Parts: sequence; structure tokens; C-alpha cells
Amino acid sequence: MSLLQLEGVSKKFGQVVVGEAITFQLMQGDAVGIVGPNGAGKTSLFGMISGDISPDSGVISFEGENVARLSPAKRARAGIGRTYQVPRPFEHMTVFENALVAAQQGARARGHKSYDIAFGALERTGLGPLANRPAGSLTLLHRKRLELARALSTSPRVLLLDEIAGGLTDLEVNELTTIIRSLRADGIAVLWIEHVVRALLSTVDRLICLASGVVVADGEPKEVLASDAVRFVYLGGKRIDEDAS
Amino acid sequence: MSIALPPVAPRRSLVVRRSTHSPALTLVGALVLVILLTIAPWIVPAQFATTLTNFFILVIMATMWNLLAGYAGMVSIGQQAFVGLGAYATLYFALKGVNPFVTIPLSALVCAILAVPITYLLFRLRGGYFSIATWVVSDTALLIIGTIALLGGGTGRSVPGLQNLSPSETAHFSYLATWFVALIVVTGTYILLRSRMGLVLASIRDNEVAARSAGVNVRAARRTIFIVAAAGCGAAGAVLAISQPFVQPSNEFNLQWAAEMLFVSMIGGLGTIEGPIIGSIIFFALQQTLQQQGVWYLIIVGALAVAIALWLPRGLWGAFRARFHTELLPVGHWVDQLGDDD
Ligand SMILES: Nc1ncnc2c1ncn2[C@@H]1O[C@H](COP(=O)(O)OP(=O)(O)OP(=O)(O)O)[C@@H](O)[C@H]1O
Ligand SMILES: [Mg+2]
Repeated sequence: MSLLQLEGVSKKFGQVVVGEAITFQLMQGDAVGIVGPNGAGKTSLFGMISGDISPDSGVISFEGENVARLSPAKRARAGIGRTYQVPRPFEHMTVFENALVAAQQGARARGHKSYDIAFGALERTGLGPLANRPAGSLTLLHRKRLELARALSTSPRVLLLDEIAGGLTDLEVNELTTIIRSLRADGIAVLWIEHVVRALLSTVDRLICLASGVVVADGEPKEVLASDAVRFVYLGGKRIDEDAS
Repeated sequence: MSIALPPVAPRRSLVVRRSTHSPALTLVGALVLVILLTIAPWIVPAQFATTLTNFFILVIMATMWNLLAGYAGMVSIGQQAFVGLGAYATLYFALKGVNPFVTIPLSALVCAILAVPITYLLFRLRGGYFSIATWVVSDTALLIIGTIALLGGGTGRSVPGLQNLSPSETAHFSYLATWFVALIVVTGTYILLRSRMGLVLASIRDNEVAARSAGVNVRAARRTIFIVAAAGCGAAGAVLAISQPFVQPSNEFNLQWAAEMLFVSMIGGLGTIEGPIIGSIIFFALQQTLQQQGVWYLIIVGALAVAIALWLPRGLWGAFRARFHTELLPVGHWVDQLGDDD
């Protein structure tokens, strides 16, 4: 049985189509990258899966249950964790408390168990030494890490990562991909939007290309990047530079 | 089902402290303050006891308003609804022969119960519409109460059961009742904010969207807080009806209560426990020193509110705390990382 399944998911903002019959599925432990030009509807897709945005039509099943009408909190508790492209830290709380509220509410843990989950997520994302810092004082790099740590603290079965590698140095990207591969090894499925294709290719085994809300390609990463549809999307058929970041 | 994440490396159990300074110090300080404020009516002039009573009524209301607006993001301008309903519940129970002081928890309970259906109406609305609707609720309550002859209709009625006390006894007892209610409300708020609910509220305060996707049931948290704030304001209304035992709709349901709650929470600092208390102290200090100035008093108070909104958006206590990193009533979680001295 698939972990996450989308069937004919469509959404318009006025005249802007951000989703047009989007259909794909994700199995447990899958790692799938999502690429597509700016404004393609990638972030909106995450919004529909996590519950921030309600689709106009279509079915979103998680572990065999239609979750399309559930609140974001219920979906988080069910095991859908997400990060935000523009980080949304709880600024006046410490880094540890940011993760802790997710452990207590998203993972429904209490007391020492919640402390261990939250701090474990911070250690995994390299934020352990910053645990007592107010989240509002973090740099962009650390805010992105905190997004990941907070999503991880909900004990997700699928993680939706929205451009968490943007603006990082090579070394930092390597650190991040190591973290994400270790999450996969734990059985967490990953859906990862990223413009840094190199980071994606080192981690995912499938790529989905989205353009104007339509899935134009879905398959083996190299094949997707080489496909005519994707080359067309990225202007004039020019091949995507795999080393570009 | 969720997957538990195994820790990266085996480590000793994590130690999480709940305050940055010794809790013993806070406890001793709090104890001294409690004793002083309890014996206050016997050591200060009689009219000052009345001022202190009014001060603590405001502390109760502002503490509740801060929970609503500062934490749960509900800007209520109709909170006087529950002040009025609490006062009238006290009048009603007193008319039925209950000792007015005993009515205080009853009136709080009545307000909590009334708040439940009201949340189902109000929570359909957002932002400014919610605020205006709270005011409509308050005016509706005022109009309904005004039609009930038993409760004195539009002109009001005095609370029975207090007449056998001398004026100074009334002043002392209503002070003590108010002070104890304030103590319970502030302590209760502190306990609430230290609990898991406190983290939930802080996360909603900081970023509602992110709170939801972290698993926070925002609506349930809001409902809880709305009910708690109704009970607290109801208790404030009850002690108001005891300290000024002539209850009338235009006074108990006065919009001015909401204005004062808002002003005091704002200048003190929204989203902190200490803020509304400090705001209340400043408000009363201004009132005592400037009241003789008539119109100028209002102008200065208004200008102060605008200045603080512009330059100290987190209020006086918020600014102080940001600079000195201190908290009188710590609610945070402080990680002691064993073997790591960051
Ligand atoms: N809440 C909204 N209301 C109206 N329009 C929206 C809303 N959210 C997104 N849009 C529009 O929908 C389109 C898709 O936005 P989305 O953020 O999903 O794109 P994206 O693929 O994530 O782009 P990027 O790569 O720049 O992050 C954009 O044109 C955007 O302006
Ligand atoms: Mg995006």
C-alpha cells in the first residue's frame, strides 16, 4: 500500500492554476525530488498535502485514508511533517522549545519522552549547541535547519522539505544530504522541493517535474532531466545544468 | 502510527530546567509580597485600600485580556460582557440569599459556562470581524440584562447581604477578596503558561500557520483560553459588584473595561505574564498623579499608549526583558547539555 497518494488534485488561485489533476504516489521510505520553475505550484502542492491550502478537487490519501478535509494539525499528528520555504520559526521561543512544541503536539509525547524527541531532532540537524538560543536570533541557515528539526520532532512518516538547501555552501549541502539520507534509512519518506539539482540527485531516486500545476515528468532522475518535456519547461530545450546550484 | 527516532548516539538523560535563576529566590520574594499585600488594608489609609481594590480588579482583567490577545491572538473588545455577567450573577445569587463573597467562584463558573456557546458563534469570524462581534455579544448581554426586572432593569440594584458590615469592614473584605482572586488568577495563569498549554499558546502567538503544521490544535487552544478568560473576567465582575455594591448595566458592561484591559496590557507588554501587572501599576500611578489635571490626564495617557505602540511594540516589560534577559516568572525550558558548555 502506498504511504501517500494524490489523485487528480487540482487548485486555482483566481486565474492562476497551481494544481491540475496532480496524480502520484509515494511508498514508505521513498525519496522523491520535485523540480519546476518559479511559480509552478510546488509550494502550493505542499500546502495541499499538509492542509494549509484546501484543493478544489481531488483525493489525498495518507496511509489509505483520505486526509483532504483534515486540519493541518490532524495531518501533522497523523505523520505528515513539513518545512516552510520561508522559515516560520517561533521567534520568541528557544530553539529547543520550537522542537518541543512539535514533539508534544505533533508526536503527542509528554515529559521526558518529548524532551528526548525534541533534543534528538536538534542533535540530528546540528542545532544541539544552539538549543537555548531564541529562535528569532538565528541566521537563515540555522532557521532552515530549525524548520527541519521541528518537522522531525512531530515524528513524521513523510517529510515535505521546501527548498531547505537554497543558499548553502557545498559543505553545508553535503551535511544536509547526509542528514536526509539518514532519515530515509529510518524509514521516513521524503518529498523534497529543491532548485539545487545536484543536492537532489545525490539523495533522491525519483524526480517529479511540475510546470504550471501540471506534472510534466515523473521517473528516474537522469531520465526526467533529459526528457523533452522538462527541457522544454526550462526554456528553449536547454539541458538543465546538473552542476548549477 | 509514528516512528520514534533513535538518538544519534547514546547519551545521558537530558536535563531540562524551567528557570534560569534559583526558584527559591522567586518563592521567598513572592511569599513576602503575598504577606504584605494581605495585611495591606490594616497598614495603609482606608481610601488607599479602595484604590488597591480597583488596582487588583484591573490586574485580573488585564491578565485575562493578555491571555486572549497576547497569546491566543483573539483581540476581544467585548470582554466587559463577562465582567457584567459576573457582576450580575453575583447580584442574582445574593438576591437568592447566598453570601456575596461565596458567589465569586459561582459567578466565574457561570461565565465559563456561558462562554462555551459564545465561542461557537464567535469562532466563525476572524480578525477584525471577531473583535467587533465580541462587542456585539457584550451589548446584547447588556440589553438582555436590562430587561430583567428582578436584577433592577436598566437602573440597577444594590447587592444585598453586605449591609450588616461597617463601611471599613466592607472596604477591607472586598479588598481581600479582590486580592485573593488576583492572586489565584495570576498564579493560575503562570501555571497554565508553564504547562504544555503554555508552549502551545506561545507558538500560536509567534506563528499560527507553523503552529498548526507542528500539530497544534489552534481552535481547541483558543476555546480553552476564551473560557478561562471569561471565568477570570466573571470573577473580576463579582468582586466589582462587592466592592461597589450598586450594580447597573451601564457601569458593569462599560466599554471602558475593555479599553483599560487593552491599554494596560499594551503598555506593560503583550505576551508576557509580568506585562499586564506592570501596565496596571503604571496606569494607576498615572491616575493617582494626574487625575486632578482633567482633560490633560486623558491626553497624556493616550499619547503614552501611542508612543509605546510605535516605539516599544512589545511593551515596557518586553523591552526590559529583551535588554536584561531576566524573567520574574520564568516559563521557559532551559537545556543543560551534559558535557557541552555552550
Ligand atoms: N495564497 C495564494 N493566493 C493567491 N495566489 C497564490 C497563493 N499562493 C501562491 N499563489 C500563486 O500561485 C503560484 C504558485 O505559487 P507557489 O508558491 O506554489 O510556486 P512555487 O513553485 O513554489 O514557486 P517557487 O519556486 O518560486 O517557490 C504563484 O503564481 C503564486 O503567486
Ligand atoms: Mg515555492
